[in-house]
Amino acid sequence: MSLFSDDLKGNRLAYIYTMPALLVMALVVFYPFVYNVIISFSNMNLTHFRDWHLIGLKSYFKVLTDNTMNLTLLGFPVPDFWYFFVKTILWTGLNLVFHVSIGVFLAIILSKNLKGKSIFRILLILPWAVPQYITALTWRGMFNSEYGAISLLIDKLFGLQIPWLTTEWGAFTACLITNIWLGFPFMMIVALGGLQSIPDSLYEAADIDGATWYHKLRNITIPLIKPVMIPAITLGVIWTFNNFNVVWLVSNGGEPSDTTHILVSWVYKSGFTYFRMGYAAAFSMIIFGILLLFSWKFIQGTKATESVY
Amino acid sequence: MRKPRELSVKGKIASYIILSIFALFSIYPILRVFAISIRPGDRLLSKSLAIIPSDATFSTYAKLFTDEPFLAWMGNSIVVSLFVTIVGVGLAATAGYAFSRYKFVGRDSAMIGLITTQMFPVTMLLLPLFIMLIKLKLYDSYISLIIAYSATALPFTTWQMKGYYDTIPFSLEEAASIDGCSQFSTFWRIVLPLAAPALVITALFSFMTAWSEYLVAAVLIQNKDMFTLPLGLKMFQSSMETSWGLYSAGAIIVSIPVVVLFIILSRWLISGLTLGSVKG
Amino acid sequence: MTPFIKTKSFNNIFIVVITIFTLTLNCARRNENIITIWHSMRPLETSILRKLLDDFSKSYPDWEFRELFYANETARTNYIISALGGSGPDLFWGANDNIGPFVELEIIQPWDSLLPDSFFNKFIDEPIRANTVFKNHIYQIADRVGNHLCLVYNKDIVPNPPRTISELKKIGASLTRDIDGDNRPDQYALAWNYTEPFFAIPFIGGYGGWIIDENNNPTLNTEATVKAAQLIYDLANVDKIIPVECDYEIANALFKDGNSAMIINGPWSWGTYIENGINIGITRIPMIDETGLWASPIVSPLGYSLNVNTTGTKLKIVIELLKYLTSPQVQLEFSREMATIPSNKEAFMDSTVINDPLIQSSIYQMEVGKLMPVVTELRWIWDAMRPSYQGIFTGSVTPEQAAQSMQSLAENLIKENR
Repeated sequence: MSLFSDDLKGNRLAYIYTMPALLVMALVVFYPFVYNVIISFSNMNLTHFRDWHLIGLKSYFKVLTDNTMNLTLLGFPVPDFWYFFVKTILWTGLNLVFHVSIGVFLAIILSKNLKGKSIFRILLILPWAVPQYITALTWRGMFNSEYGAISLLIDKLFGLQIPWLTTEWGAFTACLITNIWLGFPFMMIVALGGLQSIPDSLYEAADIDGATWYHKLRNITIPLIKPVMIPAITLGVIWTFNNFNVVWLVSNGGEPSDTTHILVSWVYKSGFTYFRMGYAAAFSMIIFGILLLFSWKFIQGTKATESVY
Repeated sequence: MRKPRELSVKGKIASYIILSIFALFSIYPILRVFAISIRPGDRLLSKSLAIIPSDATFSTYAKLFTDEPFLAWMGNSIVVSLFVTIVGVGLAATAGYAFSRYKFVGRDSAMIGLITTQMFPVTMLLLPLFIMLIKLKLYDSYISLIIAYSATALPFTTWQMKGYYDTIPFSLEEAASIDGCSQFSTFWRIVLPLAAPALVITALFSFMTAWSEYLVAAVLIQNKDMFTLPLGLKMFQSSMETSWGLYSAGAIIVSIPVVVLFIILSRWLISGLTLGSVKG
Repeated sequence: MTPFIKTKSFNNIFIVVITIFTLTLNCARRNENIITIWHSMRPLETSILRKLLDDFSKSYPDWEFRELFYANETARTNYIISALGGSGPDLFWGANDNIGPFVELEIIQPWDSLLPDSFFNKFIDEPIRANTVFKNHIYQIADRVGNHLCLVYNKDIVPNPPRTISELKKIGASLTRDIDGDNRPDQYALAWNYTEPFFAIPFIGGYGGWIIDENNNPTLNTEATVKAAQLIYDLANVDKIIPVECDYEIANALFKDGNSAMIINGPWSWGTYIENGINIGITRIPMIDETGLWASPIVSPLGYSLNVNTTGTKLKIVIELLKYLTSPQVQLEFSREMATIPSNKEAFMDSTVINDPLIQSSIYQMEVGKLMPVVTELRWIWDAMRPSYQGIFTGSVTPEQAAQSMQSLAENLIKENR
């Protein structure tokens, strides 16, 4: 339901309200996007920079079948793209699960009457506030088996020596932990905001009916913070999927041996640094396609474009 | 009967323990960054786990302000970020409202469209954008930055505002219009205050986007006097030799305005303005 | 009730405010008489450059001279974008490994038609050629040469550095010590960024091989490559005198803390070691006993390239500026302050240079170095080397397998990109 659904005056108002925002987006994004679409069908690279011509789907084909790394998945050899695609899905899924659960969990605690919670709020937002470049590198340093605080701690506590950054999955886990640290404050704040819109009276009524904390969580809290969390989660998935910085910085550009990559950092490495613009553009279009499909399905599934009441 | 926001003693203790663990998790790496900034000699790594090294000194911080135009960078960043925040909040608050309240042609596609702009890997988008902007001589001007940053922040903030407006029943607005309030007045005086938490998130997010953005500024701002903080900090870093001391000190100082802004805005984030104003 | 108009006026005001603000922000319109240099010079050098520009600007009161620092990668990317967009700095200062791509993208112009031969003859050809020639034109004029890796040793820990690898291994045993008894070494004989190909190829040269031949084809699948990789692997895992996990920052930290007796690093880092109170000495990276050849790091001139978009009167002034910045007096000033090796023949033989031990040691190493190949292929060769090379240290491939995959990857990359 909406307030002025069929009112023509109202519709005009809607357009006026939304036009500035949409105009800005169109300006900034439209031209580069079209440009990328075009060169994804071309052979633009270092030697054919100004005199490129269209070559059709060749770059797309190359992206999906290139096998420079001889990687295997569960024993089956797979082309580079698919290997990193699976890795990216793993990366995104794990990150979001932790971001959201930690964020919502902490937000719920912080919305209770606790003395001194403002101090905790400030401390918990710090990972978001401090520039990512240096914190990512600090984490990289902490995972180092020689100098790293984490290695020293684990050694002291368990006597174990974990080679984080010199193994493929160790490096992946290191990037994951770093990004979880970087990402949970954001979800926490959004959840905090969302929790404010839930009237206490709902909880009181549930208490009177004898509901457990689980029932309250499942039937009151989660549905009512959904409208606010869905945008954050959707965009969180997209941003994490495309998060170039953290993976690149913590693994120092893909180490060991270019195995620590997600799709975007692999695009950068295999396309951008060699000026293989046509290839990189095709690759980017494929990434775009994947995310578009996901968002469409996700939004349809959660009916996020509709209102709650 | 215990109120919903009250905790039992056991609950309180558990909460404090959990909060402390996570607080420690949050703050430890930052303490290490701080340690680098007070450790002389540009040492990124050190075998000692001590946060305050034996030869600690604040001279790097002094150097930051005397040898480098740090305050100028900060001033530039504040100007840009404030404008982005104002523009961002203005655009998102109004567009989000429209998306929430009106069912108009193109509403759903516009919303999906906003989100799709985030899907394309940024590096590839930037290249043609930069070349276009430079050809149009739109570099060394904050306008291009402000537009780009607002564009970056808009999808999330608009969608967020819409989601939050969705949780505000428009029976309130109906009641107000019956009482004789104009559309705009209803929006301004009733709906917006209730959406305060979402406005705070929008403001914080827009500010952060502009405050910490590096890539776009690095290409578009080539006049040293106009550098923003991320550009300034990057000056301390080169591929082989980085002035870690200066960089860390800068990073710590750069975080302070964000935290201050958060503290100021927190009041409205947890305003607890419930919807008890609806009768029945 | 006129709610519609009220709302419209709100939006109108909003739009008007934005427009005014737009116009005011764009008010400070460009002064066209600006000459800019982009560089990657260290802070101390930047202040010297700044002073030089101020002096020069006195002869051209209507012009403004600006310099801007960018880290290497950023400098290259930003330059490409700006130049392709029709602007960018007039002079680009850096090592000459960017020349290949820049020329392919047609964003720098050659110097040879703009200056007489007599000018170019003032620059050294021995031990390496200072001015960079690519596709038969001079695209970069150097104001210094070097940028090569050397063996840097802490005189307080090892007063006499090793000359050969066997000497290194011998001293190494006594220098690598476990001080606190936790079964892990606390002091190493040598630590350096050996997982990065650039820092390993001196040893390939030492074994008589190289990464590229005269026809610009990669030559990675050679015995020299295998032996060099094996040597480094053994130093870490058999002789155990270098750390098992070591990158640039770790090596730096170890050396600065006094926990490594030696490091292999370039002139960009020596200043910070001195600042940290390390009593450093510079010498050649040790010789390979088997071949009798010294390790051969890559040597590169550093200098100025000219933007293709700079023309007319501006170009004339830029040429004068270049002559000034590469003149002997200016080069000697840098040498005095930063221990850089001049590229001008006169300055090279000046007493300041002859009598400076750091510069002389650097020249000593440079004599057995190899000039940076100025070919676009080089980048692909680095990137082809890295994954397999690193695989040796994680134990996933043997040096022989690595050498083979490096070669095939390099050939593939080059084929695809041509």
